[in-house]
Amino acid sequence: MSMSSADVLQFVASGLQNGAIYALMALGFTLVFASTGIINFAQGEFFMLGGMLAAAGMAAGVPLGVSVLAAVAATTLVGCLVERLALRPARSAGGLALVIITIGCSMLIKSGARHLFGPDERALPAFTAGEPLSVGGALIEPQAVWVLVLALAAAVGLTVLYRWTKMGLAMRACSISHDAARIVGVDTARVVMLSFGLAGALGALAGAVVAPITQTAYDVGARMGLKGFAAALLGGLGDPVGAIVGGFVLGLLESGAVAVVSGTYKDAVALVVLLVVLVLRPQGILGRHLGEKL
Amino acid sequence: MSRSGARWGAALVVAALLAGAVAGCGAKEGGGSDAGSGTTQKEPYRVGVVVSLTGTYAGLGIPEKKAIELQRDAINANGGVNGHPIEVIFEDDATDPAKAAAAASKLIEQDGVLAIIGATGTAQTMAMRAEVQRAGVPQVSMAGGSVITDQLDPLVFQTPWPNRIVVPFVLKAMARKGLTKVAVISDSGGYGKDGHAIIVKEAPAAGVTIVADETFNPGDTDMSSQLTKIRAAKPDAVLMWNAGKEAALIAKGMKQLGMTQPLFGGPGNGRKEFIQGAGDGAEGFRFAAGKILVPSAYGTDTEAYKVATEFIDSYTAKYGESPDIFAGHAYDAFLIVVDALKRIEGDATPAKLRDAIEQTKGLVGVGGTFTYSPQDHNGLTESELVLYRVENGAWVLDEQ
Repeated sequence: MSMSSADVLQFVASGLQNGAIYALMALGFTLVFASTGIINFAQGEFFMLGGMLAAAGMAAGVPLGVSVLAAVAATTLVGCLVERLALRPARSAGGLALVIITIGCSMLIKSGARHLFGPDERALPAFTAGEPLSVGGALIEPQAVWVLVLALAAAVGLTVLYRWTKMGLAMRACSISHDAARIVGVDTARVVMLSFGLAGALGALAGAVVAPITQTAYDVGARMGLKGFAAALLGGLGDPVGAIVGGFVLGLLESGAVAVVSGTYKDAVALVVLLVVLVLRPQGILGRHLGEKL
Repeated sequence: MSRSGARWGAALVVAALLAGAVAGCGAKEGGGSDAGSGTTQKEPYRVGVVVSLTGTYAGLGIPEKKAIELQRDAINANGGVNGHPIEVIFEDDATDPAKAAAAASKLIEQDGVLAIIGATGTAQTMAMRAEVQRAGVPQVSMAGGSVITDQLDPLVFQTPWPNRIVVPFVLKAMARKGLTKVAVISDSGGYGKDGHAIIVKEAPAAGVTIVADETFNPGDTDMSSQLTKIRAAKPDAVLMWNAGKEAALIAKGMKQLGMTQPLFGGPGNGRKEFIQGAGDGAEGFRFAAGKILVPSAYGTDTEAYKVATEFIDSYTAKYGESPDIFAGHAYDAFLIVVDALKRIEGDATPAKLRDAIEQTKGLVGVGGTFTYSPQDHNGLTESELVLYRVENGAWVLDEQ
């Protein structure tokens, strides 16, 4: 079987589309890691909530745009609540206990969604109707453009927030040292809650924007959580640019694995590359040696 | 804040794996035992049911459970079986073979069931085999993998049309329409793998050449890479073999990639969620399944038509939606067990029940007329199948 250049471009397009979603997820992981030093295993459930709440809103007769925005807002609130109600009271218990608490939260959110929405998959209409666009022979659905544009917008917005706002400065300060940040007057508790809220918003945005392409269900979170976590590790935990790079690299890797090996081994190929990268560069592709900062 | 590099990372990976395992357990639904409303004094007959109420096959397992609850209540309201009420104990396997095996063990050891109906999926059905063999309890599966009755076990029976019957039926239909260069896309789970092996084996006899052969994993959310490879192979038609929610992604993905080839599939795709999920992509999709979706296919003067329409009417009246083929498989499985129990003289035991199930003869269900023998634990033929087409979001009979 011979591949034309249009086919190769199609693989790239598919890799970029999935990569954009992984990047949003990885950003969620990275934000929480930067401000708390823990991995939030409820991140995948934020993704699920974005899609499921938007679909539920649509089913209740709310217009699509409002449903999606409301889903993102509601999940942001869920992110804040996870921090405020589950993690903050146990703050002194140490990293591993907090990670386990996030696993508990993810189970709670998933079971809740199953009871609320039932076990069936839900469909969401595309944000804009229309025929696929042809780019160099590769056909790209309008929704895939939405995925890329929103992921990019979120990445730019986050970078602006992180680099050039006072809140961003506080977040960066927290990622270096909580104690030092507190001494110079940073409200660290607020920063941590904000990072969970943003992680919720990013996950929900990813879940809602991809649902028209993939459908959604109460149980899609765990899988996407692992992908996002892998992307964050690949790019370098704690580094927003690394998260985006890691997401796209993982998406392209998976697409390439299907092209040259087989769909059955897609996940395996991506994980093997992840392991190799982590052995050669434990800090991830763009991650700095953590020691440098201290 | 502790960040000790690699070791911390390793701990996280372990935690991630644990999260998967624990979350899976969390999804398990406790098996409730509900006795029917029988008014008799005799000891109830206990039957275990293992279905997928969560996971990839939830869309199949839930109608199965509904159909069995409906039939249980109808039988108990009529005095049960030979004076014994029927008690059904449901277990959710979460579409996980290991959980199916555990559920079978629990039903046998703790509940002392006479028979097990299940599972929803092929891999889950096979995973229960060691348990039923050890205890000598008969099992009636609602999954369509050929392996279930090809690897004949005296204890294991099957209600759907297995892949060895459906696959040649579909391949021949494709060849009749002049679609001989076929691309195959199948899932790597039990049912897809089972069907794939039979597609590869039966294609030459049907006059079909396989020009592309792609796979995906249950739970995958993107098929465009596989479909791009299929598109490059320029097939006349695409044949997908799976039973989960990924089917909608394939149909939608083909439309997205501008592929106009007709898409074919099997009974696992006869789900309303597929049509809803695939939208326009589902239009023109053809698949083989039994006659329950358009009952006039039975012939309106047949016994099968009467049985099926009675079931459809009572199911629709209770649940407000018409039953799909999976509900039909569960109806048949329960019917087979009840019919065999009725023929047992004296009190039933698992061994007596097994023998009675094997003697099932000319039993008219919704999936077909069942006649079992020591050599055949499926008892169905190609004549039970018809080809459907999706038209304006609904199933219609394809011209045959």
